[in-house]
Amino acid sequence: MSAPVVARRVVASAPVVAVAGALLLTTLVMLVVGVDPTLAYPALVRGALLDGNLEYTVAAFVPTLGMALAFALPLRAGEFNLGGDGQLAMGGVTAAAVALLVPLPPGVAVVLPLAFGALAGGLVAVVAAPLSTRLGIPAIVSTLLVSAPAVSLASYLVRFPLAEPNTGLAQTPALPEAAHLPALGGSGYLTIGLPLIVVLTALWLYANGRTVLGYEIRATGRNREFARYGGVGVDRVAALALAGGGAFAGLAGALIVLGPPHRFVDGALTAPGYTFTAVAAVLLAGARPVVVPLAVALLTFLQVGGQGMEREAGVPSQLTQIVQGLIIVIVAVLATLRARRAR
Amino acid sequence: MYAAELVGVTKRFGPVLANDGIDLAVARGEVHAVVGENGAGKSTLMSILYGLHRPDAGEVRRDGTRIALRSPADAIRHGLGMVHQRFRLFPGLTVAENIVIGAEPVRRGRLDRAAANEAVAALSERYGLRADPSALVGGLPVGVRQRVEILRALYRHAEVLILDEPTAVLTPGETDRLFEVLRTVAATGVSILLVTHKLAEVLAVGDRVTVLRQGRVTGRFATSETDADELVNAMIGRSLAPSAPRRARPPEGDPLLEVRDLTVRDADGVARLSGVSFAVRPGEIVGLAGVAGSGQRELVDSVTGLRGAVPGVFLAGTPVRAGRDPRVAYVPEDRHGRGTAPDMSVAENVLMGAQRDLASRWSLPRAAVRARARDLVDRFSISAASVDVPIGTLSGGNAQKAVLARELTRPSQVVVAEEPTQGVDVGVRERVHDLLRTARDEGAAILLQSSELTELRDLADRILVLYEGRVVAEFPGDAPETDIGRAMTGATG
Ligand SMILES: Nc1ncnc2c1ncn2[C@@H]1O[C@H](COP(=O)(O)OP(=O)(O)OP(=O)(O)O)[C@@H](O)[C@H]1O
Ligand SMILES: [Mg+2]
Repeated sequence: MSAPVVARRVVASAPVVAVAGALLLTTLVMLVVGVDPTLAYPALVRGALLDGNLEYTVAAFVPTLGMALAFALPLRAGEFNLGGDGQLAMGGVTAAAVALLVPLPPGVAVVLPLAFGALAGGLVAVVAAPLSTRLGIPAIVSTLLVSAPAVSLASYLVRFPLAEPNTGLAQTPALPEAAHLPALGGSGYLTIGLPLIVVLTALWLYANGRTVLGYEIRATGRNREFARYGGVGVDRVAALALAGGGAFAGLAGALIVLGPPHRFVDGALTAPGYTFTAVAAVLLAGARPVVVPLAVALLTFLQVGGQGMEREAGVPSQLTQIVQGLIIVIVAVLATLRARRAR
Repeated sequence: MYAAELVGVTKRFGPVLANDGIDLAVARGEVHAVVGENGAGKSTLMSILYGLHRPDAGEVRRDGTRIALRSPADAIRHGLGMVHQRFRLFPGLTVAENIVIGAEPVRRGRLDRAAANEAVAALSERYGLRADPSALVGGLPVGVRQRVEILRALYRHAEVLILDEPTAVLTPGETDRLFEVLRTVAATGVSILLVTHKLAEVLAVGDRVTVLRQGRVTGRFATSETDADELVNAMIGRSLAPSAPRRARPPEGDPLLEVRDLTVRDADGVARLSGVSFAVRPGEIVGLAGVAGSGQRELVDSVTGLRGAVPGVFLAGTPVRAGRDPRVAYVPEDRHGRGTAPDMSVAENVLMGAQRDLASRWSLPRAAVRARARDLVDRFSISAASVDVPIGTLSGGNAQKAVLARELTRPSQVVVAEEPTQGVDVGVRERVHDLLRTARDEGAAILLQSSELTELRDLADRILVLYEGRVVAEFPGDAPETDIGRAMTGATG
């Protein structure tokens, strides 16, 4: 394929069309409600990338990418993991508990909470597996069902057994110094969480395309009966994929908690809506796993930039949520159109 | 004037020229057969006539006037109807509801059930297509479901009815009934386009026949003036080789597959198989006949391990293992639902089962996967643009060859083949039969399930007849078809 052909394909691809379309519509909305786009967009860019804001963007990118993997991995096996919030919260609270309650030497003090956070997220996710394989409740429902009590359990733990004494606040005490994620450079927000998640993403991409397990997960997702007939233990593979997704969510929670402000604050993990943004990014990336990190970067940029736009140009940051919503709608419309078009 | 005409129709899929300037005309009340090899472009042509594909060049005419077809809805409006090979019915709705859907009689804004039932009853009366309007479609046998599809098209006033390989899923009895129906319907002035691979059917029911080859018309005949040989020649450019000798050497040795007093119950505790016993020795093909639903599915799933480790099934003397026993090569009947993942690539489809053999400790090298696929594609002469295209874009015969390639290259001594030539052309059929005979001669034990008695008689050394979950008769491979057919209906003696 020649370079121009590749370029044309990229320009005409669904994510590009969706993003361009959404920006166009958003501009129209701005004009209608009387916001000057020539002020708003620069404010958006500044809010996300300049004036020292880049590190917030990166800090938000890390958990969002983690949550995107939490959704994308099971999706390869045909399982919709919508229970990201529960897995995230349990991962976070478990990491906090391990860091607070177990005195650990440096190094291990970071690794062990992360590992237990991932484990907790994986366990929360895997509870949904028997519900779907034994009782026939699809994962899209069962993960969601398990999520709410998991969030509540995390909330209970942080309010009572793990609460910071004598403050009445729904948060844990600050974690010991040894459990803080090592910072990168001078910044407090840029931690080793970034390289960690990037490496894990690369590992996932590799496993997905070039390992037996990745192949069996994809076969299960594309045609479960085919995989079963071929000798793949499809129930086991689906459970494994859910567990893997949950582990990514749990890890994302642990990374948030071990980063600044170094404690588990009730609601702080779920309130920013990482889960939804991540689902949107994965849908935007369509069937192409390699595109997932790019889509996450783009949506995180919009999310963080939106807050800057609100501060500077007085544009409500909900506008960026509209953009996100529009992107999903356009992706869905394009997918439907493509399916209908006589090929 | 013709009821429907395709004029100069050309359709490309990327590099593949599926239809190349095809002219086809159907007269009113005519049964017009369309035959050709796998990939000849039959389905593409029919899809164009039904508005599913748009031609790159050429046009469609109805009663002499050009019509524009942008979608099946346009086609329906112009009096075209299609019976899809994979039925598009709602199993949870009744026959009548399925038929009137999209054009329901309504009373006070709601479906007028009584009127619907009445209309459907009148319609089935008129065309002699028996179907109980209030029966749930989910519980009906395939032949009746197909009738419902035909009724649905007729209910929408189809004057041209397209059937793409309608008999592939039918038993011989159901096929005969379908043909009666088609003749009745044609007698009322409806034109029928019938795509099929079975030349006997063409000669039995068709008035005229058009032969396609590599996207072009290579023959037009009146069925009264042609025969199977001439059609085969037009289809594949040569005659078929005379059928191979029955066997190279007699079966010998201990059975590789043994079933002893096998009883299988469904979830409700109803016995689907009762006391089935038989053995297949190395170098032997045992045929399995029976009307659909006589227990074939349960038997095959038990033998392959897909039903778990059922007691009573032994492979080379040891019990079958649960979850697809790797010692069995299995060519399933449902090519799209079970045999392949249609939207995965050819390479990934033929990989299934061998993935662990190709993998090194940490990786499954793509190069090895594709090289192996290319090798299989060559050895089994599968025609595919590349091993990276989705297997669902291959024609039926090529997809089937890919499934056979995958299964017959497994290191297995037991082969289970279900309807291995369903939907494949005469040339591929010959090839598939050769492959099975070769496997047999190399010492495989083969269990062959087929609804085509000619196929069983061509290949099998012995034929078992299943009826209501029991083996009710056993015949030598060359027993007369009528005897086998009688046993299939449960008639004893
Ligand atoms: N949607 C598609 N995309 C790409 N290629 C296609 C598509 N549909 C058909 N083809 C190709 O066009 C050619 C004609 O296919 P078509 O399905 O019309 O054959 P056919 O005569 O119906 O074969 P069969 O007897 O196997 O059903 C084949 O080479 C096939 O691979
Ligand atoms: Mg076809």
